[in-house]
Amino acid sequence: MVLHAVARFGESWRRSNRSTSTISQRGAGPEADAGTFPLAPGLLLFVPVSLLGNLIGLVLRYPDIGSAVLFPPYAALTAALVVSPRRHWVWYILVGSATHFAMSLAHWSVSWVLVADVANVTRAVVAAVLLRRVFAGPPRLDDLRVLTGLVVSAAFIAPAVGATIGAANAVLHVGPTSYGRMWSAWFLSNSLTSLTILPAFLLGLANHARWRWPPMGRRRAAEALALVGALAATTAWAFVIPAAGFGPLTLHFYAPLPVLILTALRFGSGGASLALTAVTFAAILGADRGVGPFLEYEPDSNVLALQVFVVLTALPVLCIAAISTSRQRTVQLYHALLASAQDHIAILDRDGVVVEANDSWRRFVQRPDVLRLRKVDIGDNFVTAARIAATDGHDDAARVFAGVTSVLDGEQKRVEIEFDYYGGGAHERYALYIEPLARADGGAIVRRSDVTARHMARVEIEEQRRQLSHLARVSMLGQLSGALAHELNQPLAAIASNADAAHRLLARAPVDVVELEAIVTDIVAANHRAAQVIRRLRAMLNRGETRLQPLDTAELVEEVLDLAHAELITRRVTATAVVAPNLPHVLGDRVQLQQVLLNLVLNACEAMTSCIPPDRRLSLTATADAGGNIRFSVRDCGTGIPPTLIDRLFEPFVTTKPEGLGLGLSISRTIVAAHGGRLWAQNNTDRGATVHCLLPGAAVAQEQTTALGNGSAHRSPVAHV
Amino acid sequence: MSVNGSDDPPISIAIVDDEDSVRTGLRRLCVALGLHATVYASGSQFIEALKTGAARPDCLLLDAHMPQMSGLEVQRHLVMLGVRIPSIVYTADDAPEAKARYFAAGVAAYLCKPIAGDDLIAVIERVMTRPHPSPVDQRPTDAPSRRL
Repeated sequence: MVLHAVARFGESWRRSNRSTSTISQRGAGPEADAGTFPLAPGLLLFVPVSLLGNLIGLVLRYPDIGSAVLFPPYAALTAALVVSPRRHWVWYILVGSATHFAMSLAHWSVSWVLVADVANVTRAVVAAVLLRRVFAGPPRLDDLRVLTGLVVSAAFIAPAVGATIGAANAVLHVGPTSYGRMWSAWFLSNSLTSLTILPAFLLGLANHARWRWPPMGRRRAAEALALVGALAATTAWAFVIPAAGFGPLTLHFYAPLPVLILTALRFGSGGASLALTAVTFAAILGADRGVGPFLEYEPDSNVLALQVFVVLTALPVLCIAAISTSRQRTVQLYHALLASAQDHIAILDRDGVVVEANDSWRRFVQRPDVLRLRKVDIGDNFVTAARIAATDGHDDAARVFAGVTSVLDGEQKRVEIEFDYYGGGAHERYALYIEPLARADGGAIVRRSDVTARHMARVEIEEQRRQLSHLARVSMLGQLSGALAHELNQPLAAIASNADAAHRLLARAPVDVVELEAIVTDIVAANHRAAQVIRRLRAMLNRGETRLQPLDTAELVEEVLDLAHAELITRRVTATAVVAPNLPHVLGDRVQLQQVLLNLVLNACEAMTSCIPPDRRLSLTATADAGGNIRFSVRDCGTGIPPTLIDRLFEPFVTTKPEGLGLGLSISRTIVAAHGGRLWAQNNTDRGATVHCLLPGAAVAQEQTTALGNGSAHRSPVAHV
Repeated sequence: MSVNGSDDPPISIAIVDDEDSVRTGLRRLCVALGLHATVYASGSQFIEALKTGAARPDCLLLDAHMPQMSGLEVQRHLVMLGVRIPSIVYTADDAPEAKARYFAAGVAAYLCKPIAGDDLIAVIERVMTRPHPSPVDQRPTDAPSRRL
């Protein structure tokens, strides 16, 4: 029935845990009542434990002063108060006092028992209040902070408070001189109780929700049984079996220590607490029966020696238990985290040997593959595998080798390498991230992530961007068709006139060879010019791959104004190119950058349609900034950009032109962004607007750059030939 | 004056074109046709030469598509100055509206590039023998000529 009630309490404890966390989130903090153990089953458990505890306390006493060696009722009342709601505390205190009176009145006077009871209750309340603050939730002893809290509050402060009150009996009934002796006896017995029995009680009540039978697997049960056997044997040898023939220095009472430490390591604070309790009882029992090591001196000193021995044993054992539990929890979380990651993760030591890898990694290395470096499992050397694969001519492996070496050598903080995977008929793309391991021993974490989907999306977007920019280019050339026809017509006209003239000259005698030679030279030149126009047109119409290369900035400006030349004349726009001398090259795709600048030039022309022809002035400026970036600025003298549009000008379908689609600038910005640059517009202070295009300069050495100077962008007219 | 007459001094042609190669080609063609040709790189150069008396052409070959001062503007300027030289405009643009604009401005003939020598000589002959047409209106206008 009690177990049933306790199981029901499990439910309420779980609920209370949730509500506690909610409360603490609201900022109620430690003031919230953490205890939820129901009263009836609580008292049903408490009464027998309390009675038995008092009995033990009575039996195990200091021979002279009557103080208990170990006082289990302290642990029982403190544990009950910690896990119960505050409103139930009065019941446990009343019941606890009643059992204490019932068991003690036969041996002591009422006043003695009364003072002792006040001391007992005060001590338990102080301990319970402090422990609740320490736990801030269900009792646990799984890290050093909580253990320290338990030691300070339940094994030091509360016993000190209790001893100060309880030792008053010495003054009242024995004599003031015995106060110190009684104080230390009270203090040590309760300190001892809080380090042995109390943790077992607290953890038993906290973990009752997991009470299932059997609570552990067969192997663990066998391990527990073996430990119990070993503990029984060593404890019996140390404390219970008479040790005839040993000298005064009887060190064999340390025999249980290894078993205690092993218990702490394998079964945590709960197991350690139970084992410590068992050892304590055995030691007391042995001393009581006149065997064991604690019989050498006066009875009081023997008890004191026993208490000090147990306290000094309990402290490190409980510490080991707390650290071990905390470590196990961390390891569990770490393995859970590794296992849940879809990425393939491996941890390398400083030499590149895989010391840990998650399941994803280990599954991946089983797959068929042409590259050996991906077959590296735990215990294999990743660096060596990469080097061997690199020597076999795999470029990816060479990059991985360089990357992992630089991270292990501390030269780089993070390396990211993308590579294609061909294996078992699959074509996938992976990204390999290599980062240093933040620890003194060095090493690295290698994470392999399947980025096939991301890569495909990127390729798709790139292709669409290319198609769109091609479409925009073709449409722009459509706008320029008249101008381009004129551009092609000029050399053709020159060829026709020259050829006609030559034909006529040949019919005359004597033939003017000098003039004919000049004519042929001009025909060849015009032919070249026509071919160049066609070549540029073809490049603009082509849907070729993006090809980044260092481009001569001045040449780029000249080409753009050449392409726009006829259109500028038709629109009566005077264009000026201003190119700073010795500009660095710009890194980019020639056709795409021509497209962007041509688009800006045509937009500028468009913006000046309403101006009178002498006012239609446009400048295309190229300058370099301190960082080696190239800035192209197209400035017009038009009407400017409406303030409402200036921020949205580069968004798709935003246009100032009645028949414009609003794609040109948006595509231009995409192209510039793909080049790592920036495109923005601003209105001029006087009139018109300027659009700036900032592009990263190629890291090549500055080459001699032709400055177009302030001259006209049109081919300079030659006076009187 | 006759085009091919050997006794008369040759017809003097002024060529105004901003494009060096076209200008030179036309000059050579005119010379090969037995004409006397002078070239100018812009309308303003030509008008300047007219004003100073350096240029006294019998006929003008005028490019339509030029920066600063277009062929149309040069033609209108000549009309304003009262210069009565027959002008032949040539262009790559054969759109009827453009043609109409030029005729309205008083040009004598309109040729599409590329220009063949025989066509050129025929047109020159035609504009030289025919009385020079006057512009529809003295002021520049974009309205098509009623005579067309």
